[in-house]
Amino acid sequence: MKRREFWLLVTPSVIVMFGFMLVPLYRTVRWSFERVEYGSPGTSVGFGNYSAALGDARLGRAVLFTLGLTVVVTAFCLVFGYVLATLVNQLGRRLRPLVLGVMLISYVLPHVVGAVAYSWLFDSNFGGIVNFVANKLSGGAFGEPLWFTEAWPNRAIVAANAVWFMLPFAMLMILAGLQGVSSETLEAAEIDGAGPLQRHLYVIIPSIRGVLGFVLLIFTMDVLRIFDSLIALSPQAVGLGNESIMLYIYNVAFREGAVNLGLGSAISVLTILLILVLLYPSIRSLVKEAQAA
Amino acid sequence: MRLQRSSRLLAVALLATSLVGLTACGAGSRTGAETATKVACDFQNPAQATTVNVLAYNSSAVDPYSNTMVSSCTHDNVTVKHDPIDFAGQVQKTTATLAGDTGTYDVVETYSFVVPDLAKRGKLVPLDDLFAKYKGAYKLDDIDENLRKAMSYEGKLYGLPMQTQVLTMVYRKDLFDKNGLKPPTTFDELRTVSKKLQDSGDMKYPLALPWSASSDISTGYKATLNSLGKNFIADDGKTPNFTTPESTKALEEMKSLLPYMDPQATTFDQPKVQQQLYNGSAAIGIMFSGRMNDLVQQKNTKLYDKFAFAAPPSVEKGGKQYGALSVDGWSIPANTKVDHDLLFQLLGSSVSEDASKASIPAAYPARKGLDQSASPYAAAAEKAIAGAPPAEAKPWVPPITSATTDIIGSVILGKESVADGTKAMQAAAEKVMADQ
Repeated sequence: MKRREFWLLVTPSVIVMFGFMLVPLYRTVRWSFERVEYGSPGTSVGFGNYSAALGDARLGRAVLFTLGLTVVVTAFCLVFGYVLATLVNQLGRRLRPLVLGVMLISYVLPHVVGAVAYSWLFDSNFGGIVNFVANKLSGGAFGEPLWFTEAWPNRAIVAANAVWFMLPFAMLMILAGLQGVSSETLEAAEIDGAGPLQRHLYVIIPSIRGVLGFVLLIFTMDVLRIFDSLIALSPQAVGLGNESIMLYIYNVAFREGAVNLGLGSAISVLTILLILVLLYPSIRSLVKEAQAA
Repeated sequence: MRLQRSSRLLAVALLATSLVGLTACGAGSRTGAETATKVACDFQNPAQATTVNVLAYNSSAVDPYSNTMVSSCTHDNVTVKHDPIDFAGQVQKTTATLAGDTGTYDVVETYSFVVPDLAKRGKLVPLDDLFAKYKGAYKLDDIDENLRKAMSYEGKLYGLPMQTQVLTMVYRKDLFDKNGLKPPTTFDELRTVSKKLQDSGDMKYPLALPWSASSDISTGYKATLNSLGKNFIADDGKTPNFTTPESTKALEEMKSLLPYMDPQATTFDQPKVQQQLYNGSAAIGIMFSGRMNDLVQQKNTKLYDKFAFAAPPSVEKGGKQYGALSVDGWSIPANTKVDHDLLFQLLGSSVSEDASKASIPAAYPARKGLDQSASPYAAAAEKAIAGAPPAEAKPWVPPITSATTDIIGSVILGKESVADGTKAMQAAAEKVMADQ
């Protein structure tokens, strides 16, 4: 490829990257050291926003809740995504696209729409079908859990919703990985006497380690940024300690009467650092794998 | 082969139908301007093509006014544009559009809660001169003077009132009649009536109030505090009132209603309270009047003919009502480049006598002397307006509301004692006042 062609093709991406990533990032970092009001130039406050953020117990609670949710949802989606992908991989050619299509509906639905509909499953004002079915099956022993006003029931539905809309993606990625596993290797393992569980543990999973690492990376990033589904599912998030980092930033930076873009920006910068720290092992492992390949 | 062809045809047909459906969806949902009432909107035609962008949230009470403006004032060289948006979206876009030297919108819907703050910061155009110039053409003197005051700051008018919303009580007349009950006029009576409805077995949680702990609960607290005769800030304009006996009583009175409300009531906003009433899972509700007309629509609920309306009760006998009056109106942003004279004529048309008449019963117009007999809740709203505590129209109200909302929620939920909560609210309000 000629140098001119190279720049012709690369320039639009560079412009987009610069405009949509670097400029906002620069602005965020700059604002994090300022007191900012919409439309007026910021005034420097040094590290004031950072000390305010780090001194706020709410940030600690938000980080703890978000990390807990990330671990639970990611672990669940990796395990069950693998199980589902294995099952779907065994389906015939005609049935597989249909099952995949149905499963992907929750993934392509806008999160906030999906979350509103999901909340209705637990809300007696809108039918509350979960309580109804559970009580029918248990003879009324299930009772009426306070899904929206008690911390743990609320955490359960937030996590369940995240799994509901993210599991199909994990399944799809892992399915793609499974289709690349060599059938000869599997046959050889079978001839050597490896049972189904051993084949999964010692042949298939090591073969798709790269895909699993990629899924882990994406899930860590996605769940750490969870926001819109909480609007519908956790209207009392602050009081229950179920406020995610992104919701905390939104509440600080944009809520009516308390617009504080400087503090919101400082928390955003801290969040970026946290995400980088958490993703470092995954990124390093992916880079190593790419170099080895 | 035939199967493949028919599959392709089916896929193409489905795709085409979806696209047509989506297009139709988009076109239909933009506004109801096509079917809106048309009124006279006579302005001097500008020399150049002029687009007027309007920011107004969608609700059954505001839509008639925005739709009328779009349908009546889009002619000659003027095009009025209004895209659908919810209330939260309007709040954010208002902040953004008013921020700099240029904005996206030329007309913004404002309400009495935010006008003092926006006016103090010079974000809105004072309308007094334009009001005087066009009051004859649009009969603007018929707009209630008290509502004009509510949209004013330091004696200057910053919003042209279109309609007002007031906390109004709705109750199930059939259940009240069956149990020999009368609409409560005090919180004590409200508790008694609710208890009787519970004891009769008609309703497990008869009372429905929009007390969402992250937002609406602050309206509930303010209405209770105002009913007891106190504002957020004392008359000296400096000292917060949150540690006063009235503030403590307000929180205790609110908590005393919880046994009659759904255990998850602190997650309920106004639409959810409406839903409770539609479903028949509540018998008494107190909401802003703009929500009332929806309750008597057969398409919304099979109980549409069972509701009656009254002014809300006072917290104590002889006190002001548990009330809140919110006035909606039109304002002109200070940073618009469109001629203010032209814009004011659009506002005048939108709140004209004909437009206001057409908004009944969905809205309670700001104009006096209109025939409201078609509105099932107008009489109750009128009493509620007369008995509502005077609004605290000050720039510190929005930031204090925001700073104290979570604390109120925490007290009502029992996570914090009333004493600790009032101290925390006082501290938060003092911090806000230090920045004023």
